Parts: sequence; structure tokens; C-alpha cells
Amino acid sequence: MKLIINDEIKTLAVTTVSSLLTVLEQPDKGIAIAVNQAIISRKNWDDFQLSENDQVTLFQAIAGG
Amino acid sequence: MSILNVNSTLSLPSDELIIADKTFSSRLFTGTGKFSDQKIMAEALIASQSQLVTMALKRIDLANQDDDILKPLIAAGMNLLPNTSGARDAKEAVYAAQLAREALQTNWVKLEIHPDPKYLLPDPIETLKATEQLARDGFHVLPYIHADPVLCKRLEAVGTAAVMPLGAPIGSNKGIRTAEFLEIIIEQSTVPVIVDAGIGAPSHAALAMEMGADAVLVNTAIAVAKDPVAMSKAFALAVQAGRQAYLAGLGSQARTAVASSPLTAFLDL
Repeated sequence: MKLIINDEIKTLAVTTVSSLLTVLEQPDKGIAIAVNQAIISRKNWDDFQLSENDQVTLFQAIAGG
Repeated sequence: MSILNVNSTLSLPSDELIIADKTFSSRLFTGTGKFSDQKIMAEALIASQSQLVTMALKRIDLANQDDDILKPLIAAGMNLLPNTSGARDAKEAVYAAQLAREALQTNWVKLEIHPDPKYLLPDPIETLKATEQLARDGFHVLPYIHADPVLCKRLEAVGTAAVMPLGAPIGSNKGIRTAEFLEIIIEQSTVPVIVDAGIGAPSHAALAMEMGADAVLVNTAIAVAKDPVAMSKAFALAVQAGRQAYLAGLGSQARTAVASSPLTAFLDL
């Protein structure tokens, strides 16, 4: 399906948030995800179904003061 | 025994700092920014004996992803304190805190709202609003603020876990320029006072601790030192020295000399 991930359009064979993170080779720690600006809690990653044209934003913990 | 092994040589076992639901034996908190590489960062932060380290959050660049910096810090048993750096108002800061809670599985947050990139001075009105909302939502909020005693009382009233007044602008290394106001904050505060920002040398950290600050947060001064690991140890010693001086009770200052030796006129024979 077509998704907008951090402002990039990508077409990926994914269904849930978990499957998306696997395809994108993301670590399971230190990241957060929002779909259409709503933050998806870690406990819902396996069940949350993505839809065509969803805007996905991925965040990562980085160094900072 | 190494003189740098500060915990075994100097610490007072009962002098622990409690903030919200955590107890700290080290009063030196550290940031993870600006280190030349991750290996040196991890070595320096471990050498500092810091138990609370700050981190930031950013949007992932899928084409050019940063390394995972969490692993060595978690392995060293450090508590992570995500910040909301980049937030320009309360709404953005609350969103950043919620993201950080998901990313790092902690309800601790260093609230930073500094819309002006030149001086990075914190916006007191947005900070108060965000603290109130986040505290209500179950966060332990540590807001970065100007050394404003009135704001500190307002933050206490809305449930802040601590206050983090600045010594000087972030990364400026200028030291404790807000001393007069920090003294008032320390005198009045019912929550821990962590002096944050501007601490550029171990002597600055010692001064803040001598004044009665509960802890200091140091990042730039360690990260940009020629030898960050050695500088971490220097800061750890300075924080301990300053804390012990505070507990020991400093003597009062006088305008004129006060003799340390008896002034008997033994030469007037």
C-alpha cells in the first residue's frame, strides 16, 4: 500500500505498524511512531492496521542535552 | 586507591537525592549531546558516575539513520531523561513528551521550550502550561527555566517534580551568572533544584553545589573537552566537593580582614 513516511511516499507490502517497522528494519527500542499525527502506543503496534495514504511519522532517540 | 574513585573515598552514604520515584547517589546529571563519537560519550558518562542522562528525539531519516545510542547507556544502568528540545510551544512540547514516553518507556521528561535559536532561553508561559498538563497526565516533569523564583513557585503549584534553572545560556560555558536568583530559588524551593545550562568548568559546578543546589546538569563542558573522560571525573569530584562544603556549612563573608592568628603584641618587648 502507499504510505507517506516522514514526508516520503513509499509503496510497501505491510499491514500493521509492527510489519512496517520490520520492513523498514527499525530497532524495537528507542523509537516512537505516529499515524496521521496520533501516537501509536507500543502495546498496539501488533494490532494497529495501516490504511492507504496514511501519514506515518517515525521518531528516534538521539544524543542531546 | 585512585583519587578519582570518588564514591568509595568521599561520598556520604546517607546523602541521597530523591526526585519523584527515583533515588540518586550521584548529583551530577549529564547530557549526551555534542560528543565527537559514541564510544567516547559512553566512556565519559560512565566515568562521570552520572545516574541520569538526557537525550533528545528527532524524526528518523530513513536514508541516513543514526546509530542506536541507547545500548551502552542502558547497559551502564543509567536512567534516561528525554528532553523536548525543538518544541516551540506547550502543545508541541506535550506531543514531544508523549512520543518520548513511547520511545524510551519512561514518564520522566526534561521540558525544554525555547523558541529563540540565538539564546535558547526558555519560554516561561508555555513551560508553565506544559508542566501543568504533563504533570496531570502522570509525567515527572523537570522543566528547564530561567532563574526565576516566582516561576519556580508557580511550577511547584502545578506539580513539577523539580526545577532546572539556568546558570547561563545553553552551551555558553559562562558559569553561574544567575547566582543571586538561584540563591532565592534554593532558599524557597520545596522541590529539588538542578542547575542546568552554562556550567562550563568544574569550579562552576562546585559553586552551584556550595550554594545548595541539589544537583547540576552538565553536557557541553564534558563533551567538548579535549579529554571528555578525564573532564567527567573532574566534574564528579567538583560536584562532591561542592556538596560536602554545603553540608559542612561555609563561613560567612566579611568586608574587612578577620584575623586567623592571635594578634598579641609579642614583639613589643
